[in-house]
Amino acid sequence: MKKTIFGLLIASSFAFGHTALMSCFDNGDGSVTCEGGFSDGSSASGTVFKVEQNGKAVIEGKFDADSEFTFKKPSGDYSAVLDAGEGHKVYVGSKNIVE
Amino acid sequence: MTKKIILSSVVAFGLAASSAMAHFQMMYTPESALEKGGKITLKHVFTHPFADEHTMDMAGVEEFFVVSKEEKTDLMKDLKPITFKGSHNSGKAYESQYNARKMGDHLFVMTPKPYFEANEGAYIQQITKMVVNVSGLPTDWDAELGLKAEIVPLTKPYSIWAGGTFTGVVKSNGKPVPYAEIEVEYMNHDIDMAKNATSKEAKVTAPQDSFVTMGIKANKDGEFTFGIPKAGWWGFAALGVGTDTEYEGKELSQDAVIWIQAKDMK
Repeated sequence: MKKTIFGLLIASSFAFGHTALMSCFDNGDGSVTCEGGFSDGSSASGTVFKVEQNGKAVIEGKFDADSEFTFKKPSGDYSAVLDAGEGHKVYVGSKNIVE
Repeated sequence: MTKKIILSSVVAFGLAASSAMAHFQMMYTPESALEKGGKITLKHVFTHPFADEHTMDMAGVEEFFVVSKEEKTDLMKDLKPITFKGSHNSGKAYESQYNARKMGDHLFVMTPKPYFEANEGAYIQQITKMVVNVSGLPTDWDAELGLKAEIVPLTKPYSIWAGGTFTGVVKSNGKPVPYAEIEVEYMNHDIDMAKNATSKEAKVTAPQDSFVTMGIKANKDGEFTFGIPKAGWWGFAALGVGTDTEYEGKELSQDAVIWIQAKDMK
């Protein structure tokens, strides 16, 4: 039991030592691709990804094996969110997503 | 004894002459650490980046590619000939457009065709590396490509504060080159991307000739570290470390060049 707790602590401190990163681009076909990652070069594969409008998640999923998430552009302003837990969220606003 | 003295003065003279003629293959883009992905323009110019007293005519390009997320993409078709205007003359150069869309490192490698330097009766070929990063994700900056002449960085070339350092390893076909001779130059003239020209105004003045092209040496493992005193682009050229030593019956200096960009801490 103790061992499990210890392992968890190490796992979380490892992740928290790095900065979460995300970059998104418009594919020009009505879809947007976001790529996630961490400052040590590790992948964001499996990390939660959301698209938010007015603070509400309208799309939710996880980064794929290539550390990417592609979605259909919603109408209106939105934010792409990489959610690696409290204090480790990265927001990219739709105004900053270009082709 | 007399022989020794003569020999060392000849060597010294030879060194002085070659350092006065420091050529640098430039691969320039204004920003190497991009906040987000997008289209960038590169200028490929063969020049003397500190003094800017002579722009050479590039003889052509043998190979030009980019490595991103371990994937190599040929970029030869994107090269467009241009005339680049230095402070004193114009020379044949190239420009290319690239869509640095993906997050991570985009490691560019350009091998020009050997350039005949009439003053030395020899050819020069500088295999040149430059890294552009998108959004801070490190992916390929430290990749060792096993080039004939290569400087493998141990410091991210796009993430250096002015006052920091740059460390690299000089390699020849993947093997370290002990005590390699390296020339270091500061890009002392701004580049006007639209006009394909340098600004005539120099940023700094060298107190003496040894500060124009700085000669340093790698250690026994081929490693070197250089303190970066000022923000801007710095070029490193390891001379004659390549595996090819002859071109069209003449001597060839096959050099490894890498460019790094330092930023002010403000």
